[in-house]
Amino acid sequence: MGTIRNEIRRLRFEHGEMTQQQLAEKIHLTRQTVNAIEQGKYSPSLEAAFRIATVFGEPLERVFHYSSEE
Amino acid sequence: MSFREKTAWISLLSMAGIYGVYFWSVIKAGPQAGGFHSGKLLGTIIALVVVQVVLNIAVAIFAPNEAKAPRDERDKLIELRAMRFAYAGLATGIAFACFFGAFNPPIVFNTNALLFILVTAEIMRCACQIVQYRRGA
Repeated sequence: MGTIRNEIRRLRFEHGEMTQQQLAEKIHLTRQTVNAIEQGKYSPSLEAAFRIATVFGEPLERVFHYSSEE
Repeated sequence: MSFREKTAWISLLSMAGIYGVYFWSVIKAGPQAGGFHSGKLLGTIIALVVVQVVLNIAVAIFAPNEAKAPRDERDKLIELRAMRFAYAGLATGIAFACFFGAFNPPIVFNTNALLFILVTAEIMRCACQIVQYRRGA
């Protein structure tokens, strides 16, 4: 099984210290879901991942990183 | 704690408490007691509906935005996993009920046993949702 890491926390900070609630409202998810994604406890759907990347104006691969464990 | 987790707690605790009282009274009456305890069951269902409606309204008052928001993809996934878990419990319970039903116990006992299995499956569903919300899932 691989792991998906993300840069959401850093990107939120770089975008005017956007709160989890503000991000959640922009991408139509709950704050708890944003928190779970940020902590790597929940992997978002592809659509949600694209919405997150769009909010930060970054390509998907600069927001989410996949590493496979051999 | 999210609004969805609170509603799962309300469902779990109210069902465990209110149906617990009902099943305890059925057990005390014994399997040979006549009738389906229909009065008690009706009272149980009414009490459950009232308690759940009141508590859910109370929770929604304190978090109106969360209450109005539709379930997101994680809520739906958690719900699906919980349903799968509860279905396994329900199917197992029904299989046991069919097996023991072959020994021809009184019909009132059988009906309450099926109700018990249904309530247990519902409690399992709520418990599974709570565990997943606690873990972050």
